[in-house]
Amino acid sequence: MMMTEKEIKARYKMAVFGFLWIFLNPLVQMLVLGFIFQFFIPIKTANYFEFLFPGLLAWNFFSYTVTKNTPMYINERALIQKAKFPRETIVLSVVLSNLFHFLMALVVFVLFEWLINSKIHWWHWCLLPGIAFWLAILTSGLSLLFSSLNVKWRDINFGVQALMPLWFYATPVIYSLDLLPSWLARWIYLNPLTAIIGILRWAIMGTEVPWFSLLISGISTIVIFETGVMVFRKESPFFDDWV
Amino acid sequence: MKQNNLAVKLVNISKIYQLHHEKPTLVENIFRKNSREKFVAIDNINLEIEKGEKVGIIGPNGSGKTTLLKLISGIATPNQGKVQTWGKLVSLIDLSAGFHPELTGIENVYQNAMLLGMNRKETGNKLKEIADFADIGGFFDAPMYTYSDGMKLRLGFSVAIAAEPDVLILDEGVAVGDENFQKKSSDKIEEFFRQKKTIIVVSHWLEYIKRNCKRIIWMSEGKILEEGGLSLTKKYEDEFSK
Repeated sequence: MMMTEKEIKARYKMAVFGFLWIFLNPLVQMLVLGFIFQFFIPIKTANYFEFLFPGLLAWNFFSYTVTKNTPMYINERALIQKAKFPRETIVLSVVLSNLFHFLMALVVFVLFEWLINSKIHWWHWCLLPGIAFWLAILTSGLSLLFSSLNVKWRDINFGVQALMPLWFYATPVIYSLDLLPSWLARWIYLNPLTAIIGILRWAIMGTEVPWFSLLISGISTIVIFETGVMVFRKESPFFDDWV
Repeated sequence: MKQNNLAVKLVNISKIYQLHHEKPTLVENIFRKNSREKFVAIDNINLEIEKGEKVGIIGPNGSGKTTLLKLISGIATPNQGKVQTWGKLVSLIDLSAGFHPELTGIENVYQNAMLLGMNRKETGNKLKEIADFADIGGFFDAPMYTYSDGMKLRLGFSVAIAAEPDVLILDEGVAVGDENFQKKSSDKIEEFFRQKKTIIVVSHWLEYIKRNCKRIIWMSEGKILEEGGLSLTKKYEDEFSK
């Protein structure tokens, strides 16, 4: 927990706007992406900006966290070599501090929706913490997996950097699935983020989400998390040998 | 039970490192099938250290002293054998590890104390004691990047001793800071020596070991070559002054 506090404080210590940045960052990103895809590539989705924002928030949380965490044990080698402490704290503190930012921005967006959207479902909002938790589990699992492997094989980091842009386009953040031909959409459902972002939009804006995608995503999240924890458990006692 | 008297117990421990001459990568791992070079850092060591013992570990560079300390403190894990320790163990190896330059001294104290196994409340109670001992004045609530190296070390040392270890592990360079602080820190360590704390020292500074330790362990090539009382340092000196 204290490591999380350190992450948050260290990140915003010097920033004049402080917490404003948490919201401003995805907002600017949304405007840019929204502008490009609205005018240059015709995507037929009502309220495109509104559609874009929750997906971007979730994607940013996921990709920032996993990308930052992958080389984390190498970057923190001074600590690994000198002190004994539960190794998972390093990775989990990054997950938690980014989760905090994600939730902050989400709350602001939900309030915004409450003001402009009249047909929202209050009880859907009760599920938001659960959805955030689901996303955090997936992110933690991958973070633990990649960061542990990167200690042993340093090219994992490059692999993750190459993977993330591909993953972005394989996730329905900037497009919606009904725009794709059905053979392609079927593959996109295998991506655990598809259902998470789907149900996030459903919870905030009441868009539909296919139930079977939730099942696929739920199972793959558990598998990824279990794998991550297993690899971490096996490798973490020997981090000092490799860093 | 005899074990209640023990602070550290090592049973048949070995530590083998893989030598890699470049950064290890997955690609290389798949395409190159030749067996890796191995380096045996610790070769089947058995050791028991009782509570309150002052142990000095001597031996030439590369004899496995630091690896042994890492295994005892739990930073590294042996490939074979079992390490058991009783009581709170603190190693004064690198005092400023874990400090974050953007955070203030106080925030870093909490952070570092947590790594040493203290909770928030304990640290809060000790905060004044730590500040007094480190004696860095108004810098205590300034960001770490404004500190000099000496100030960082002083603060690191102050946190480490505030953790009230049962087993204290000292690596080379026991003395930190300026003349004044060196005096203060060695007084504090002497105080630990006088209390019934277990202390394990690794040093090439034989005078220090002679003055403070009762039991000497002489390591060579990952093994315990000889074990004994203070007379062993004499033999060790003779061996290397030939």
